[in-house]
Amino acid sequence: MISPRQRALVEFVLDNLVWFILAIVLVIFSATIPNFFQTGIFVNIIEQSTFVGVMAIGLAIVVIAGHMDLSVESVAGLTAMITGILFCARGIGMGITLTPEWLVLPVSLIIALLAGSVIGGINGWLVVRLRMNAFIVTLASYIYVRGMVDAISGGRSAQDLAPALRFIGIQTLAGIPLIAWIAVLCFAIFTFIMARTPFGRHVTMIGGNPVAAFRAGIKVDRLVLIAFILAGAIAGLAGWLLAIRTSGATANLGIGMLFRAFAAVVIGGVSLKGGIGQLPGVYAGVLLLSSIQTAMNVMALPVHYTQMILGGMVLAAVLLDTVKLQIRQKLA
Amino acid sequence: MTEQAPLLRLENITRNFGAIEALRGVSFDIARGEVVALLGDNGAGKSTLVKIISGGLEATSGRMLFDGEEKKFNSPAEAKAAGIETVYQDLSLCTNVDVVANFFMGREIVKRYFGVPVLQEGAMYAAVEKALANAGTRIPSLRTNVEHLSGGQRQAIELNRFVHWGGKLVLLDEPFAALGVEQTRRGLDMIKRVARQGIGVVIITHIMAQAFQVADRMVVIRQGKVAGDVARDQTTPDEVIRMITGEATIGRAGEARAQA
Repeated sequence: MISPRQRALVEFVLDNLVWFILAIVLVIFSATIPNFFQTGIFVNIIEQSTFVGVMAIGLAIVVIAGHMDLSVESVAGLTAMITGILFCARGIGMGITLTPEWLVLPVSLIIALLAGSVIGGINGWLVVRLRMNAFIVTLASYIYVRGMVDAISGGRSAQDLAPALRFIGIQTLAGIPLIAWIAVLCFAIFTFIMARTPFGRHVTMIGGNPVAAFRAGIKVDRLVLIAFILAGAIAGLAGWLLAIRTSGATANLGIGMLFRAFAAVVIGGVSLKGGIGQLPGVYAGVLLLSSIQTAMNVMALPVHYTQMILGGMVLAAVLLDTVKLQIRQKLA
Repeated sequence: MTEQAPLLRLENITRNFGAIEALRGVSFDIARGEVVALLGDNGAGKSTLVKIISGGLEATSGRMLFDGEEKKFNSPAEAKAAGIETVYQDLSLCTNVDVVANFFMGREIVKRYFGVPVLQEGAMYAAVEKALANAGTRIPSLRTNVEHLSGGQRQAIELNRFVHWGGKLVLLDEPFAALGVEQTRRGLDMIKRVARQGIGVVIITHIMAQAFQVADRMVVIRQGKVAGDVARDQTTPDEVIRMITGEATIGRAGEARAQA
């Protein structure tokens, strides 16, 4: 037996492990890689973390609720393409303009969020009502939603996004791009929701023991459905940001992001068993992945090395999850 | 304690699953402050009966009077709102959150800021601390996740939570299946303490010794009927076992015998 204080310390370290790892990795990179330690590099890391980060929020919420959402990447691709087709002037863009011009901002955002919510809602409905396995359901939507992107774009791309939208993509605040702030803001908002509101508490409880939650009068099915809709909507936001950042959309925009979002969620300390995990850790996970990616770029490693290292990191993260669970069980 | 109406009265409860008659007319009473042991072999209909009482299943026919009023619960939530709850081993707690969160599961204290409900952790902590202190239950830290607590402590949380939220009738399904000797003894004490507050307790168990230690009455279900309904001091474990296996049928005032 160990004392409650020691246990609290070990738990604190386990809960925030990824922040410690991030700090150590950044120190090592700064010390060993030439030209790594400069403001531009760090800003780049934060900016790179935007899209995967936003996407990872929704994924994390669904995983905490005890399910899985593999569709977030394709959903982001879809909403990016919708935004591109509607509000781009060139390529397959329809170049819709609104008066006043800034109206394009809320309108495009709402369309993206709605489109994401619809896919998330379909996922959730299949999981909750038809009791289908979330992994299979969202694997299917990962595929068919990407198919929708190809279908509506015909494989072509849209360029030259409406200036009112592009504006957000260029602006910086305190030296950091505005879109990166949007990601940070999302993390802050959803961290609060998960930690301090009944919704977040109930979702966590459902991930821990859905039967107990149900028996306590918590509307489990409804909340799981909401979690999927939220994940879809947040992925929709990520796609909207992607379109803004790239000033348009291509049919393969966002491909590969699911895998990084998933890695970030696991590295960030969200247990795949459900019920365990905090969103700040997920953001740290995203930052960690971006840091490693950036370091490899700075060192000019060939792309296939990047893939191998990232793949290895996912394995390491899942292994870490297992080890952490075992440590927690030993503590009990 | 009013004498005129029992806490719960079951009248001729039946339940069919297709052609199978799981319950074939079950009638008995539970008084306030009474501990009733519900006994019976596997498949006798105990769990069906418990589910009907706690709203998990609907009876095919028959009446249920709770607090003197006819009641029909369409969901566990409705039964719970009326004050009836089943405590299943390990099915009532979320072990991944702390004691306070479990205590307030589904009934969190919130304060709205701009319409957003925000958990009031301080107020909830104080309430749990008070409730546990009143019940004489000691748990090292209310901020510990329940997964780190012993089976006995978990049961204490479940029962205290039930009492705190105005429970009137608690159904315990194999409450000591996973507990050690000392924890079981404490659990039995706690059940008696809960009953002394005027709460009806139904405990479902296979272990005769436990039933005789804690229950005031034994109700034996056999093949969907009450095969025995006797006060503890008027029977013996051997006799109860014979009722379970169908070798003997003894009912209070001969009711069950007449039915059988």
